[in-house]
Amino acid sequence: MSGAAQGSAATTKAVTDDKSKNGEPAVEKKPAAQLEEDDEFEDFPAEDWTEEDTQIPGGNTHLWEESWDDDDTSDEFAVQLREELKKLGQTK
Amino acid sequence: MSRQLVATFCHEVNTAIGNRDALKIRSILVLEPPFANPVYYELIEELRNEYPADDDGSEDRLEGVISASVTETDVGEDDEGRPIQSWNPMVVFLAAWLTFIRDVDTSQLLKAYQAMSEVQSKGNTALQHPTKGILVLPTLISYAQIFARLAVALDRQPELAQVALAHSDNDKAESLAEKAANVVRQGFLTCLSDRNTVPGGIKDGRPDGKKIGVYNMANVCLKILFQSNKLDNCSMIFKNIDAASPPLHFYPAGDRVTYLYYLGRYHFISNNFYQAQMVLQQAYNDTPTHENFMKQRRLILLYLLVANLILGRFPSERVYARPEAMYFREIFQPITQAIRKGDLEAFQRMMNLDLSWEYAAKLCRWKVFYQIGNCCETLVYRSLYRRVFLLAGKQPGPMDRAPPSLDLNAVVIAAAFLEKRASASPAKPQANGWSFGLQRPPTPPAYIDPDFEGMESATPYIHQFDIEEIEGLCASLILEGIISGYISPKLKKLAILGAKKAGSPVKAGFPNLWQVLSTKKREQAGGDDVEGWVKTQQAGGGKVVRLASARPAGS
Repeated sequence: MSGAAQGSAATTKAVTDDKSKNGEPAVEKKPAAQLEEDDEFEDFPAEDWTEEDTQIPGGNTHLWEESWDDDDTSDEFAVQLREELKKLGQTK
Repeated sequence: MSRQLVATFCHEVNTAIGNRDALKIRSILVLEPPFANPVYYELIEELRNEYPADDDGSEDRLEGVISASVTETDVGEDDEGRPIQSWNPMVVFLAAWLTFIRDVDTSQLLKAYQAMSEVQSKGNTALQHPTKGILVLPTLISYAQIFARLAVALDRQPELAQVALAHSDNDKAESLAEKAANVVRQGFLTCLSDRNTVPGGIKDGRPDGKKIGVYNMANVCLKILFQSNKLDNCSMIFKNIDAASPPLHFYPAGDRVTYLYYLGRYHFISNNFYQAQMVLQQAYNDTPTHENFMKQRRLILLYLLVANLILGRFPSERVYARPEAMYFREIFQPITQAIRKGDLEAFQRMMNLDLSWEYAAKLCRWKVFYQIGNCCETLVYRSLYRRVFLLAGKQPGPMDRAPPSLDLNAVVIAAAFLEKRASASPAKPQANGWSFGLQRPPTPPAYIDPDFEGMESATPYIHQFDIEEIEGLCASLILEGIISGYISPKLKKLAILGAKKAGSPVKAGFPNLWQVLSTKKREQAGGDDVEGWVKTQQAGGGKVVRLASARPAGS
């Protein structure tokens, strides 16, 4: 399994590289049909696996972002809102 | 050649029972054509000639032959001379297997289903034998998997299922899938309640006796129920597990992950998102990264991601970079972006019930659309209040004794402004900015019930934010704990306390979402225990039985 795990790591790298080279559009234009997928949870083969087989590069920490509040008051969204508030005399 | 093969098969099975070789029994009792070994076709031929389906006596005669040659099913004694009860249900089960392979026609799904149901039920009875029952467990698990596939396939052919329902003498309209799940559930319960094990059901770090089959059987039931959209029926299985199962971590990895996936999804649809993310994170951590398992990892990650999203935790770049997260960025980033900014307009467009957003139908199929729409809307509002506070909140001067505050009328203006834009046509996704300059003036969304459509006196309902709604919404966000402050109903202001302690007014007024929500959910659930997830060994293989209300025997 360890060889296989390396293969998977290589795939990850390839995908990341692809994105960093072309930015978002590379994946954006894929046909919708590719999004069609079966939602059946397939059975696993009978043989057991080890913890090593389940490791993703860098481990399973920092997968989730807990602090994401946006304090930017100069982006377009904020500017539009400020304009509207100003019109009605609500900005400070 | 007459009767030779039936006798040979019986002899083989008899030897396997004598050797207590459950896997050998499974390898003999194959069920699903095409058969790799041609001898099965010869056996079928013999059965058709000697025990034809149109002869009512065939099954009895078969049972007679089996009973005579599979002597291991007779009454016997164990090594210590204790009597072993007869295993006649095994004779019946073997006869059912032979009849099944004689008659099965894979083009007749409904007939195959009915015959399969019979074999499975008879196998369940054979499984109940206290010492020998375990020998048919691997066979029965493999049958259950085939049965599940059949039941799900049939469930997707409503015309066939309808015929079956019409023929049903049962008043309760149960779908074929539910019936199949109920049959398999009997086997699951037999495994769960096996008394012929060491106390606690774990011996040398492995599940003992039939308990080894608990999660495997449960997973087959859950698969049928999930695939046929009968998620409500799953709760019984989780309750059964909770009451009597050995801890999950003693089971093989495949059983564990599959079970956690279904358990996580069950908690997800029950709106227990905190529990769902705990269960699914464990499932995700325990699934191999090998590309063969990409599909499973993707499904687990999907529900894990949405459960986290609802609890205010966003996927990081590391998640999006995973191969199993393909397209997740395109789908979920616009949603997190709208939540982050408090962009009610973008959020309403994406979550519009007409499914006009390009990924809405996909989210519906995944059964997460309404959860995102309902639960994340609160998060968007919180960010909107926060955003308006940053733009129009009142920060007191150093000599000022009044706390930082926000005039709620400013939020009314912002919300109304965004809602109007959301209802402006054309409803195209606004991924990166604002381009409404040339469009016709936006109108607020008008609603008229289809029943009243076309009636002259019916006036459409037009939603418009007013101060009462914004004040009420603010109060409910305070109650949820995701805005921290108090409202002055007279001044229509939100006042924020504790700015100094928190570091800034915005930090004090808008505490970290994940912190607030996860703490609250954990408190509500009384800790990190999850229904259906047995982590520690239970005394005597089951929960403590409360005897307070029990009466003495004989009273």
